[in-house]
Amino acid sequence: MNNEKSKMKNISKLFAAAAFLLLPFALTGNAQEQPPAPSAPREVKIPAVKNSDLPNGLKIAVVERHNLPLVTVSLLINNAGAALESKDGLANATASLLTKGTKTRSATQIAEQIEFLGGDLNAGAGWNSTVVTLNITSDKLEQAMAIMSDVVLNPTFAQSEIDLFKSQTNDELTVALKQPGSLASFVASRYTFGEHNAVGTPESLNSIANSDISSFYRQSYTPNDAVLVFAGDTSNEQANLLANKFFGSWKKSLPEEVETYRGRAIENNKVSNKGVVQNILVIDLPNSGQAAVTYAKKLDIGRIRRFVVNNGGTKTLTAENYYPSIVTNTILGGGYSARLNSEIRIKRGLSYGASSGLSSRNNQTNLLARVQTKNVSAAEVAELVASEINRLGTSLAETTELTPRELTLTGAFGSSLETTNGLAAKLVDLYTFGLNPDELNSYMTNVRGVSSQQVKDFAAANFGGGDIIIVGDYKIFADDLKKRFPNQKIEVIPASQLDLNSQTLMKK
Amino acid sequence: MNKTKNFLSILALAVFLNFIAFGQTKIAPLDIKQRTLANGLKVVSVQDNSNPRVTVQVWFNVGSKNDPNGRNGFAHLFEHLMFKSTKNLKSEQFDRLTEDVGGDNNAFTSDDVTAYHEVVPSNYLETLLWAEAERLSNLNVDDANFKSERAVVQEEFRQSVLAQPYGQFYEAIQKNSYTTHPYKRTTIGTIEDLDAATATDAQNFHNTYYRPDNATLIVVGDFDQKQLDDWVDKYFTKIAKPMGAIPRVTAVEPARTTEKRLTVKAPNVPLPAVAITYLAPDSKSKDIAALKVAQAILSGGESSRLYQELVYKQQIAQEASFGVDERVDKGLLNFTAVMASGKTPEQGEKSLLAELKKIQNAGVSAKEIEKAKNTLVADTLRELETNRGKAFAIGNGVIYENDPTFVNREIKDLQAVTASDVQRVMKQYFADNNRVVIYYVNDDAAQKEAK
Repeated sequence: MNNEKSKMKNISKLFAAAAFLLLPFALTGNAQEQPPAPSAPREVKIPAVKNSDLPNGLKIAVVERHNLPLVTVSLLINNAGAALESKDGLANATASLLTKGTKTRSATQIAEQIEFLGGDLNAGAGWNSTVVTLNITSDKLEQAMAIMSDVVLNPTFAQSEIDLFKSQTNDELTVALKQPGSLASFVASRYTFGEHNAVGTPESLNSIANSDISSFYRQSYTPNDAVLVFAGDTSNEQANLLANKFFGSWKKSLPEEVETYRGRAIENNKVSNKGVVQNILVIDLPNSGQAAVTYAKKLDIGRIRRFVVNNGGTKTLTAENYYPSIVTNTILGGGYSARLNSEIRIKRGLSYGASSGLSSRNNQTNLLARVQTKNVSAAEVAELVASEINRLGTSLAETTELTPRELTLTGAFGSSLETTNGLAAKLVDLYTFGLNPDELNSYMTNVRGVSSQQVKDFAAANFGGGDIIIVGDYKIFADDLKKRFPNQKIEVIPASQLDLNSQTLMKK
Repeated sequence: MNKTKNFLSILALAVFLNFIAFGQTKIAPLDIKQRTLANGLKVVSVQDNSNPRVTVQVWFNVGSKNDPNGRNGFAHLFEHLMFKSTKNLKSEQFDRLTEDVGGDNNAFTSDDVTAYHEVVPSNYLETLLWAEAERLSNLNVDDANFKSERAVVQEEFRQSVLAQPYGQFYEAIQKNSYTTHPYKRTTIGTIEDLDAATATDAQNFHNTYYRPDNATLIVVGDFDQKQLDDWVDKYFTKIAKPMGAIPRVTAVEPARTTEKRLTVKAPNVPLPAVAITYLAPDSKSKDIAALKVAQAILSGGESSRLYQELVYKQQIAQEASFGVDERVDKGLLNFTAVMASGKTPEQGEKSLLAELKKIQNAGVSAKEIEKAKNTLVADTLRELETNRGKAFAIGNGVIYENDPTFVNREIKDLQAVTASDVQRVMKQYFADNNRVVIYYVNDDAAQKEAK
């Protein structure tokens, strides 16, 4: 309604202001000119992936692209994610310390040598895996891979480097915990997802001993559940030669059967009330410049489906509901024109941006919607988020909404393949879940195949019943929140009392 | 098939183009076509048919330095309004023509420039050219859209300045580093000035600065040059060039003569920080290349001097950097450090200044120069990986060098830098009496804005 009215007003005003500029338009006799229609589309070419294996079990995947002399080499170590660690942050500490000293190179020499080649070499661990990534110009690939292999195969984990890593990470955490947005995600990890933050907490980091790191390294860093991805200006032949030269001596150190996830999921004792919103938790951060409003839901579906085949082995397929899940999320909060941003930013000016995302694991998927708003609007935004979650599962999206959102998703996918780094990251993602790289080719078709009914059903079954977590200056929005969610208990924890190590989130 | 085609194109490049050799790594120059329409619009294009996508960008020579008096933040607010209605486009229709068909769009504003950039499947190129011409000629801001978008920008201010522990630190650097030039105002502006702005201001701003002779259209990607030229003629030549000159900033920031020191307090600042700023030469100065090499030596990566000294050996800082913050007029040369817990800004200042003295007195080694150049070449290659990146490199050349082909000579300029150039610029621009020193510390009672 409003839109129509304001549009008419615009036109009359414009005629007065710029009539002479519009002469060619006016001659057509139409007040509204239509944009020229698109021509026939050209097909996006998805690059081919070549696979091979080294005798030690290391898988090699190569995607050639020769338009620029750039290569990305990523080593995915599936067995070394935070899901498998015994202390919060151990996997990431181990990965981060790889580049801080080997039997023959000091931390400074590693940085010096890689940077002299104009490259960068990074290692880190997320929930599912550890990834070591090298970006380098192709003429220096061999020299750089010598260093990459050295840090993976011969790290020393010197005490001084462990100490420095801990103090730096502690300081980073201290800063992150003062930002409402990042603090809210840390809280959601524990409160809703039953996980922990992969970086750890100051306390958990402090408890990590040298022996924890070296034993995690010994147990987890093994070629038989690792994949070496090459993307860019190299050939399949060169990549295989280099892989063999630099990772051929890497010894298997685990039995063939890779241990399944032993994630230390935390059972929280929250009460279910079957509504769209299960719990409301506020972390009170006085003087916070904004409030971060998040909606978190643990989806009990994983990224993959494994089943036993005739010969007794296992086969892995993308879970049937993976594509419905990502399309549903894209309609909710994946992109500028998605519902959350439309309602909260575009229609109401309540935020600079509202979005949602899914984070995949083998056995669950974490949905997190995030909005930052002025403290006084926090409750209104929370209500809008809850109402959009509800709408997704109760009414069908029109084709005029579904098709554009699916194209948003496939377009973003295409864009992400434009860089060697993006291409390598997409392959790493597939191999993390043991999926076939052919998924790159079927992705766009699979996304376009999801129907409105599938979206509605998926949302109804999975998106509701999550938690609203707000980090902000509570006194400013307390009354409004109670008014908008009258039948719901609101749990409030002062930021100064927050303990991310504790199941109750409260300091003792 | 794919492979063969790429392979052939590499061969072709090697034969026909003049490679810029640098160490072992080579960068082929972009084949940049440019022309200027009768109405003053500059058009720059690079054809690359390897992927069926194209970027369309319009870069305007207007930025927050052109904010009207009492309207700090206006150029940026205006950027947001360019996505609202025009005569023939509904509000957010740009999203329909980009995001909804598998592309994307965005824009940014800085002190010197406002740039609008889209990436679309290449069969939508004509549609986007039409749409860019449309909002250049026919913007029409209504009051409801204006107010709602102003609220969004105010949230952007809160998110980037107030809710970030170091948001007010970076604000303080800009506000306190200039005395005279409008660069002393930040691009995001202030809540009060944004409150004072009106839809009429927006129409005036569009009339003043959004004209073809103040803009550069950049198209990079999958198109046919002749077809592109025809479409550009069809949609852009009919836009009239307004009478009168475009107002330009004439204020000149005077050289500093005395040191200035201050302490800024903000809440939720877990680690204190320090900044030491100096005035840079303008972006067209030949000395920028040497300063960029100095930047790579001082703060590029973990082998850099500042990381090795302050973060790794002394362990007094969480991060330490030196940056060349280029602007069309005088930019800034900033040393900054966020301290490690328990360490003070005084310690940071002392160690940063010791590194400055070291480079002034003893210069840099040949090996450091080579490392810096290798890094800068690799960075440039990464920038040129995407159509959008290529167009950004061209746009930056237009704004900061007045040369769309600057990207093709930047590497040569960097390659020509010697160790003595680096030592000379570090002596020339940095002195005890021309620095501004800012300490940034926690004070939980210091929040400026409660709501």
